[in-house]
Amino acid sequence: MERLGTTILKSLWKPSINIVRTRYHADKTRLVRRYGYEEKLWCGGLLPRVPGKQLPIPEYRPANAWTERKALYGQNDYIDILGPGNLHPVKTLYTVPSWIRGVSGHEYHILLRKKKMFAKTGSPVVRPTKWKELQKRLGFLYRKLNRKTKTGPSPD
Amino acid sequence: MGSRQITEKSLSILRSLPRISVGNIRDNPGSKVTQKRGRGQHGGDKHGAGNKGSGQRQNYMRLGYETGNNPFYLRMPQEPYYRGHHHRREYPPLSLLQLQSLIDTDRIDVSLPVDLASIIKSGLYNFYPEQKQFGINLTDEGADIFAAKINIEVQWASEQVIAAVERNGGVITTAYYDPHSLFLLKNPKHFFKTGAAIPRRMIPPPDVIEYYTSAETRGYLADPEKISQERLKLSQKYGYELPQVENDSFYEMLCERKDPRQIFYGLEPGWVVNLKDKCILKPTDKELLRFYSS
Amino acid sequence: MTSVLINAFKRLNLSIRPQVKVISSSYSTAVTTANSLNVTQKEWKYPPLYTKPREVWIENLDTVEEKKLGLFELHPSVYAAMPRIDIIHRNFVWQTKYRWVSWAHTKTRAEVRGGGRKPWPQKGLGRARHGSIRSPLWRGGGVAHGPRSGKTHFFMLPFHLRIHGLTSMLSAKLAQDDLHVVNNLELPTDESNYLADLIENRNWGPSVLIIDDTDIAPRNITVATDSLPHVNIMPVYGLNVYSMLKHDTLVLTLAAAERIEERILHHLNAITTEQQREFKLSQV
Repeated sequence: MERLGTTILKSLWKPSINIVRTRYHADKTRLVRRYGYEEKLWCGGLLPRVPGKQLPIPEYRPANAWTERKALYGQNDYIDILGPGNLHPVKTLYTVPSWIRGVSGHEYHILLRKKKMFAKTGSPVVRPTKWKELQKRLGFLYRKLNRKTKTGPSPD
Repeated sequence: MGSRQITEKSLSILRSLPRISVGNIRDNPGSKVTQKRGRGQHGGDKHGAGNKGSGQRQNYMRLGYETGNNPFYLRMPQEPYYRGHHHRREYPPLSLLQLQSLIDTDRIDVSLPVDLASIIKSGLYNFYPEQKQFGINLTDEGADIFAAKINIEVQWASEQVIAAVERNGGVITTAYYDPHSLFLLKNPKHFFKTGAAIPRRMIPPPDVIEYYTSAETRGYLADPEKISQERLKLSQKYGYELPQVENDSFYEMLCERKDPRQIFYGLEPGWVVNLKDKCILKPTDKELLRFYSS
Repeated sequence: MTSVLINAFKRLNLSIRPQVKVISSSYSTAVTTANSLNVTQKEWKYPPLYTKPREVWIENLDTVEEKKLGLFELHPSVYAAMPRIDIIHRNFVWQTKYRWVSWAHTKTRAEVRGGGRKPWPQKGLGRARHGSIRSPLWRGGGVAHGPRSGKTHFFMLPFHLRIHGLTSMLSAKLAQDDLHVVNNLELPTDESNYLADLIENRNWGPSVLIIDDTDIAPRNITVATDSLPHVNIMPVYGLNVYSMLKHDTLVLTLAAAERIEERILHHLNAITTEQQREFKLSQV
């Protein structure tokens, strides 16, 4: 009986539902992270200093941009164009050792070249440890490049 | 490098801009792309090597290997079309079109006889005697528009090429040079620096002696009488009027030929060119003279 | 302030004087006018095509005040080329990099002394397994992937890009009024104050690069520039993009300007493959 009553009530009485927004976007505040957490450390900037005892500040020593080396940097780099034509700028790189002058490449290539050039000199006898380490490094790089890395330029 | 207006405009803009210095120059944006290694969730997984197998382990099979099958390159019987190709003489081609453009851009002086040395000096033709290359094969590309009157000496030429040159009143000769003389022609300065006497040009090998003695191919060993007959014949065959070389103002230049033993125009075998003192030394000894004149 | 005004006044005066208009084809030899301006027509080996030659005043160095001694024509292919900033930049980078060798060095685990013995047994001690005391994990051990000494940054900028760098830079200097041509480098005194005054008076610099045709400059100017580190003298073959960028003003002698023009025009009009082949770098 009771059940019948409710079904009749349901079919007759249909209340209109009106959705009311109570929270608008404009009312929203930023999310506060770590709400209620108290910071134990001081983060308000520098601490007051005790007068008379300053921390050491490095002395300001600006570099001289017009030393002779810097003022004349790059001289003779265009000697093959502006000079008589029998000299190349690479031949004027006197500050660079001969085994590395005008060469670029992977460490392995540079070392191979160095070994080839130094083998003729007294270096293997005079500096045996250096020579041995050169050979060891060459062997290591040979194994690494040929057996453990892909062919072509590698990031290392 | 920009048209004239663009150049003028950029220079005038520069007048009102700050001075160009180390601090305000830069390369074009985007001119340098640095490769980046992928990171993140899947960016750094395999680094392009794929999953397992050859890609990761670098144990690639040798080229052509088909995991045990009879490989493709061994499946057919051999057909040796090119057997012994590396022993044959090779004549790197130069087309009439290229020759015309060399003349038009003033890289070749047409008022002098043109030979291998002057074409090499133009910088746009090169050959390698050490690779069995024996000089120029003048090809007929651009034969219709070829319009220069020249006295040219090449090493190989077809009938159309000969016709194209002779139609304009020019003269063409095919001449053989042995490899040693080709080296001299390719880089005369290098040879003159050695201080050696200019050698004689060798006679052609038996398989081409027919080519260089026949008048149809304008061989340098052919009879001049027969050559003039062949010139007339060729003009009748191709239907052009043969210009009279005798009445030409460049008659002397057009008639100039090298001796069969001569390598350079104006220099005879046996002479020594001294580059330092800028003089030519000629042999006086009778035996030497006899040797070089033979 | 007053000196600037005076200068401006002088320039005004000069422009009021009868102007010498130079039409290069009409003058064949040196012409001396009432103002004693020396105007000569140049015999071009490679005549400028499509573009008029640039005209510059020939100035003097023997007085502090500027005197205009004549007009001089510069070839537009060299002094009025397209000012490509990117090519200037590439030249600059090349100049800094091609001589740069990095000598930073670290030892690998193989090179650090010792470390051949296993520090403790593999198992049974409850400690981490280690095979060498010189492993990169250890303090005092070798460095993995560290810098190895003798690392070069060498590369060669293509020949014609370097030529274009020079012409771009010279053109930019001329367009920005930073290029001056003087008749010679003779100074009346060897005092550096005189040169500093001259540079100040003419609104040059402060840093000035002086290019001469010869290897040996006159004594007075070398002594005067000795105490001025930002005033430098170079021969023609020492001229380069980096120095032109570093120095504010470029001063060329008449001979140097002609020499630079001659060298660059020669390369612009020659077939350079043969000439460059000699310098092709062979490695390893």
